[in-house]
Amino acid sequence: MWRITWKGMWSHKRRLLGTTMAVVLGVAFLSASLTTGNTMTAGFDQLFEEANSGTDVVVRSANQIGSGDTSLRGTIDAAVADDVAAVEGVASVAPLIEGSARIVGRDGTPVGGEGPPTTGSNWLGDSPLNPWALADGRAPQDVDPSEPYEVVIDRASADVGNLTVGDHTFVQTPAPVEVVIVGLATFGGADSLGPTTYTAFTDDAATALVARPGQVSTIRVAATDGVSPSELSDRIDSALPPGAESITGSELSDEMLADIEGDFLGMFKTILLAFSGIALVVAAFSINNTFSILIAQRSRESALLRALGASRRQVLASVVAEALVIGAVASAVGLAVGYGLAVGLKVMMDANGLDLGFDGVVMNTSTVVASIVVGIGATLLASVIPAVRASRIAPLAALRDSAVDTTGTSRSRLIAGVVITAVGIATTITATAGDNALVQAGLGALATLVGAVVLGPVAARPAAAVLGLLPQAVRGQTGRLARRNAMRDPRRTASSASALMVGTAVVALFTTFGASIKATIEQTVDQDFGGDLVVVTDDFSGSGMSPAVAAEVADLPEVARAAGMANAVMLADGATIDPSVANAADLDALLDLDVSRGSVDDVVAGHIAVSEEYATAHDLSVGSTIEAEFADGATTELTVSAVYGNTMNVGDMLMTPDDWTPHADQVGDVVVLIDLADGVSETDGAAAVAAVTERNGAPEPQTRSEYIDSIGSEVDQMLMFVYAMLALAVLIALMGIANTLSLSIHERTRELGLLRAIGQTRREVRSTVRWESVIVAIFGTLGGIGLGGFLGWGLMRALAAQEGFGTFALPVTSLAVVLVLAAMAGVVAAWRPSKRAGQLDILDAIATD
Amino acid sequence: MDTTTLAPSSATSHHPRVTAARTTDAVKVYGRDGTEVRALDGVDVSIPAGRFTAIMGPSGSGKSTLMHCLAGLDTLTSGTVNIGEVELGSLSDAELTRLRRERIGFVFQAFNLLPMLTAKENITLPMDLAGRKPDKEWMQTVIDTVGLADRLKHRPSELSGGQQQRVAVARALANKPELIFADEPTGNLDSQTGAEILGFMRFAVDRYAQTVVMVTHDPVAAAYADEVLFLADGRIVDSMATPTANQVLDRMKAFGA
Repeated sequence: MWRITWKGMWSHKRRLLGTTMAVVLGVAFLSASLTTGNTMTAGFDQLFEEANSGTDVVVRSANQIGSGDTSLRGTIDAAVADDVAAVEGVASVAPLIEGSARIVGRDGTPVGGEGPPTTGSNWLGDSPLNPWALADGRAPQDVDPSEPYEVVIDRASADVGNLTVGDHTFVQTPAPVEVVIVGLATFGGADSLGPTTYTAFTDDAATALVARPGQVSTIRVAATDGVSPSELSDRIDSALPPGAESITGSELSDEMLADIEGDFLGMFKTILLAFSGIALVVAAFSINNTFSILIAQRSRESALLRALGASRRQVLASVVAEALVIGAVASAVGLAVGYGLAVGLKVMMDANGLDLGFDGVVMNTSTVVASIVVGIGATLLASVIPAVRASRIAPLAALRDSAVDTTGTSRSRLIAGVVITAVGIATTITATAGDNALVQAGLGALATLVGAVVLGPVAARPAAAVLGLLPQAVRGQTGRLARRNAMRDPRRTASSASALMVGTAVVALFTTFGASIKATIEQTVDQDFGGDLVVVTDDFSGSGMSPAVAAEVADLPEVARAAGMANAVMLADGATIDPSVANAADLDALLDLDVSRGSVDDVVAGHIAVSEEYATAHDLSVGSTIEAEFADGATTELTVSAVYGNTMNVGDMLMTPDDWTPHADQVGDVVVLIDLADGVSETDGAAAVAAVTERNGAPEPQTRSEYIDSIGSEVDQMLMFVYAMLALAVLIALMGIANTLSLSIHERTRELGLLRAIGQTRREVRSTVRWESVIVAIFGTLGGIGLGGFLGWGLMRALAAQEGFGTFALPVTSLAVVLVLAAMAGVVAAWRPSKRAGQLDILDAIATD
Repeated sequence: MDTTTLAPSSATSHHPRVTAARTTDAVKVYGRDGTEVRALDGVDVSIPAGRFTAIMGPSGSGKSTLMHCLAGLDTLTSGTVNIGEVELGSLSDAELTRLRRERIGFVFQAFNLLPMLTAKENITLPMDLAGRKPDKEWMQTVIDTVGLADRLKHRPSELSGGQQQRVAVARALANKPELIFADEPTGNLDSQTGAEILGFMRFAVDRYAQTVVMVTHDPVAAAYADEVLFLADGRIVDSMATPTANQVLDRMKAFGA
């Protein structure tokens, strides 16, 4: 039996190629995702190891507030360094002052700031604890207050910013500070520490710019020979004052890795996996379809085997074995392709500022195992139903003339499809209240999708009949034949369309989401953006822009009022919260906080404003107090003086700069809202503000519509990324259509021969195949768009119910573009099959065997 | 009239000797040096218009090849084929296709119909492909002749083999082609049904001066023709006018077929 299986496969190897490709691509995507994720983990691991190399123990503040992205750790007293140095076993200590300093390049553009740290620190000199080495120039020295600070910067930033030793430039801390570059540093042979930028000052300058007097971020410690880091850490701990702690260098590296895994990297990996999951689901649909057709075409063979005495189990096993072999071979190839993809992706990321200084890619055993298991699993899963169907073929079928799969649309399928779809739709529609609205809508969405797939074959015939009217009207008999071909086997049409449907449903869902997010932003900006102009920071690494921007803009004669807003992190009665920091009265005048109790005028130093929800949840009212604790360990009592309703821009708590600034090492605004004075035109006002922002190294001001556009373009960029991720799934679906067409054409060899004999030209034959492909593609895409649009609507509604915001918008133009693209893709998918159909030899086709 | 009672032709009506198709020194070689097969080895035939011509010969005699080349389905290695005044060798694939759908009708042994089209749609297919409107009166005549009036809406899978072949004959006639080529049209049918099909073709020749060329190896079928051409080893070896089944059988035996 195995020999028969093997020979059967070999004789169909060309037709199996299509099936194999779907698995190959799916597995390639999966393994590339896993490999890229692991490579980045390894890269960060190496990065952190290097950053902490030579450091046996790190002393730091025990006080940390928040976690992940918004976490903030306190500083320690510089004097602690002396206590640590006195501990037995300590070879050397280096107090490290670290903050954010963004280097401005020769052309005035800041280097970095897209997310990776823009480190500003003190130069540790020749200390073995300094992982940086001078590659050019000399170490920074203290200078007269009238002179620019001396700095050493990393060689990578020097290259990007076109700077060299002796150049004068600025660094933003976040206020622009004039510096002169006296040296270039390398990190362990690399031009920088991964994608980070590095600026080193003297101790005093660093303290003045990125820290508070007498405070250091960490103290790095090297052990004497024979003393282990953990032993030394224990000894140091007993010498530390309260509020300080020590950990070993490798523990710190692990912690940093865990942080980034839990944050950016984890999200990155999850997104990649989610999209490879979609590609694999589409691939599974595609494989299922191909198997179904192959088995239908071979039903006479199977029946003959049964007639000759093969058991049902043997026929079943034969098909399953075939799936197993295909899955295994395709997974292995996919793994290799995935490796190539991961290498290519790494080259791209390295070239785009994500170079972690890590060579090669990491494809570990678990990636290999997971990819192979998933690849074979998906193939097996997709082949189960066709296999069972094959085993059920009656031996008598061998004697019948027709080998065409005629099982159409059963009543039970109709009922099941309608019930599942109805339940899905009802679940989605009723998800309008409560904390679980999104989960409910998501489940409803899933059920609707399943229902749509089940209903596909039922809908295929009428849908193809309607869609086929167009080619029939345009292309006459050629179009009519295409329409009939699309209608003749609804299950096959639906199967090849449903892979595309799943793919385009996700595309349409994200397109709808994107449009809705834009609409939501537009609406909230309209409601809450009171000012005429806004300046938004472009620094996502440091603390934002200099507070001088808001202050200087407010003083402009063209400006009626301006308010800068910063983000704080603290504990309020023990719970982490990140309040907005701004002058409440100015802010209220700009964006209407919708104050219901108290008054914004009372929110001065020592006072806060909170949202209604926060007030209710924490049982607060005007006059109540909360206990605030900051990262530096300080605690203070703050009095609630106003309660507001508009949380869109400020969140649950608003505090004054007076209460926040003393606890922050570097203060910067993330946004400045501006109202122009009466009679000042937007153009004149913007010009005046632009002069201030340029002076302070901040981005240009934006009008309300420019601001909306800039957010819109961010959404578009995100959508582009999503489309790129989904492209593979859609490609697999299109290959599925092409494959189905090829198989159908093989099946219709004699029909095509007859048509050619009685007068259809090659061109008309090709046209027929192309139109059939277009009908199938549009059928799948319309289903996908309908489904995606509906799910987008349902999920946005649920979001509005659960989170209190969200406006649905249907991106008609974008979806129309998707539809047109799908029709064109249908033509492309039909390219090879139609060519083959056109080249068919008439005599071969009509030869009677 | 009751078409099923049509008898083999007595070949009384003689049309003017117009040639519908002819070959001159037709040679068809398959394969390459060493293994080449001369399927046609210098064949000169002319197919008279308005007559029923049968081509007979044992397997491998080249009779199907001759028909395929005459019908523009295959090309000659050397020599010429003419349909009317047109020399087929000078035509492109698209021109040949157009010629087939406008001037030639086909009836094959099996698989004559497209499964997704109804009987009526199958009949009008060549005209639909050419973008021409069928002549309604003639359509009705054809449909009545083959007795399919109540089967027009049926799909091929709902028709018997004989009915399917009747649809094929109707399709071949519907276009009013200059020539109808029939390749073993009764090969898959029982003798009673086969006789019906042959009767239709005979009737079309007698009544409408239709030209029919039929390839067959069945002496009974050949007896319906006005003339039988005998082919062996790629050459015309004999011909017989107004044949009977027995005469044909005797002649075949003489060739050792």
